[in-house]
Amino acid sequence: MSYVTIDQVTKGYDNQVVLNNISLTLKKGEFATLLGQSGCGKSTLLRSIAGLEDVDVGSILIDGIDITNLSPRQREVGMVFQSYALFPNMNVYDNIAYGLKMKKVKDINARVKKMIEMVDLIGKEASYPHQLSGGQQQRVALARALVMEPKVLLLDEPLSALDAKIRKNLQKELKRIQKELDITTIFVTHDQEEAMTMSDRIFVMNKGIVVQSGSPSEIYTTPVNTFVAKFIGNYNVCSIEVFHKLVRNSELKGKEVAIRPEVLQLVSTDEDTSDLQDNWRIEGFIKDVSMTGNVLRYEVETVESAFHVDYLHHRGKMFEQGAHVQIIVPKNECIIL
Amino acid sequence: MRKIKKQKIYLLALLLPFILFVIGFEIGPLVAMIKNSLYADDGITFSIDQYLTIFKSKFYLQAVKNSFIIAIFSAVVSVIVAVIVAYSFTKFSQKIQNRLLMIANMTSNFEGIPLSFSYIILLGNNGLFTLLFGKIGWDLFADFNLYSWTGLILVYVYFQIPLAVMLIYPSYQGVKKQWKEASSLLGGSKFSFWLRIGIPVLLPSIVGTFSILFANAMGAYATAYALVGSNYNLLSLQIASLVASDVTLKPQLGSALGVLLASTMIGAMWFNERMMRRIRRDLR
Ligand SMILES: Nc1ncnc2c1ncn2[C@@H]1O[C@H](COP(=O)(O)OP(=O)(O)OP(=O)(O)O)[C@@H](O)[C@H]1O
Ligand SMILES: [Mg+2]
Repeated sequence: MSYVTIDQVTKGYDNQVVLNNISLTLKKGEFATLLGQSGCGKSTLLRSIAGLEDVDVGSILIDGIDITNLSPRQREVGMVFQSYALFPNMNVYDNIAYGLKMKKVKDINARVKKMIEMVDLIGKEASYPHQLSGGQQQRVALARALVMEPKVLLLDEPLSALDAKIRKNLQKELKRIQKELDITTIFVTHDQEEAMTMSDRIFVMNKGIVVQSGSPSEIYTTPVNTFVAKFIGNYNVCSIEVFHKLVRNSELKGKEVAIRPEVLQLVSTDEDTSDLQDNWRIEGFIKDVSMTGNVLRYEVETVESAFHVDYLHHRGKMFEQGAHVQIIVPKNECIIL
Repeated sequence: MRKIKKQKIYLLALLLPFILFVIGFEIGPLVAMIKNSLYADDGITFSIDQYLTIFKSKFYLQAVKNSFIIAIFSAVVSVIVAVIVAYSFTKFSQKIQNRLLMIANMTSNFEGIPLSFSYIILLGNNGLFTLLFGKIGWDLFADFNLYSWTGLILVYVYFQIPLAVMLIYPSYQGVKKQWKEASSLLGGSKFSFWLRIGIPVLLPSIVGTFSILFANAMGAYATAYALVGSNYNLLSLQIASLVASDVTLKPQLGSALGVLLASTMIGAMWFNERMMRRIRRDLR
């Protein structure tokens, strides 16, 4: 059933454990993302799958074959590096054809042409890497890996060096190509938004461990712990004692309460909210208002802790800095961790 | 705007000593040499006799040829050795790399008369090793004559290698680890990586180094003079004897040979560049 299996893989450098007993499986054609902060071991895991690093313990299987001890050349995986790693002395065509030449296959020309078409680089065949833009170089790197028809495609933060707009475009394109070829893909990023938009499945990593895996919406709506909650959804997280005090009620049990910023509502203190049945109310004042594109983010200071409240930005009334407000907290949106 | 202009003037002013130096000590002598080479022996009549003399003289053509061959040969050998040696340097830890570079740096400055004498003492007719091996009974050096073509090449190669290593070593930093990784993931062997990516990437610096080594060997004088005196017909030795000897002082002819020497070097550099552009088409 599973196409890629990573079974209890452990790896360390010197005396620091970088991958701590990691196990995960992927289905064929799945687009999986390794998501986590810098230094959590994403690249190391990817490089271990590619065979560029040896693992200390555990095994890696692709399509039922144990590849743990195979060399990179024998693994039939493709990889795109963050820095592209295009061969500077070869033009676009030769970069893409390199792997096929190494394998001595027959219809090199046809396959390279097809690939160039797929990544939308027609007309650039004779250009050298230094004559291409970052986005174009990225496409070449992608084509160079894909033309080999690898069993698994590994992408190590392939878009992180590009500016926001090109990045959005390439995300879509990458997804399209991946669907078209139905290729099993492992994508590494530390950008949660990118992970959300692209993946079928996300593996959230922290300090060499996979802390949660699931579909983007699963991960977003039901984080398993504080780390995931904070990292994925910018959740407001506060301890249960603080929460009890704020809402003057100790109905909820658990250790911590996590609430997404966009489910909260603000009303002014003089407004009557007694008819709101399934909500808690927390009093506070607006400490700061910031805008991130179409989202208006309020930072509301309460007696115990600060809350973020997100609103879609539209004309209409907006709370001023310093205004006293009530935060309306829907009971069913409170996640107990 | 004005500020920028002012700054530029200051910068130019700072550059002035350098420009004067280049004109006075590089371009000046060159022009003088070319001018000198266009006079007859009397130093007054304008003529191209000197060049005719050279091209008619088997002796001088032989000198050009000898110098050319020894320069090419020692440069080729040194570059090949240096490419391998510099690569092996990169495999050591940074600390050891620094030490090795220091040694290369020191030995690359070991040339000229001291080097020749060291060789004479070690491998000359009555050299330490020659005698030692003779006593032991190894006839390894029986056919070896330091004061010959082979000896000369040996000494040239000796002082060229460390220089070549020093020049080529930094360019290995330009060969990215990820190219190797990408190549291996695409099914390339180590050999095909070096053949198709590594060496081509190093090529500009290999070629540049080759040009420097070639010029270095063409112009080397003291080493050769100390070792073979004027027994061996080399261009640099001939020039020296024409401009500085007591018997046959012919500065005009010497200048013409000098111009020839310079042209060979420039020609070699030009040829190298051309060849490199053919392989590295990405370079403009
Ligand atoms: N060659 C190495 N030698 C020693 N330690 C290493 C080596 N490579 C990685 N590490 C360590 O392993 C840990 C994980 O590194 P890794 O590159 O996998 O992180 P990452 O999740 O990819 O981070 P980033 O998002 O910054 O790329 C880091 O703490 C790093 O210092
Ligand atoms: Mg990384």
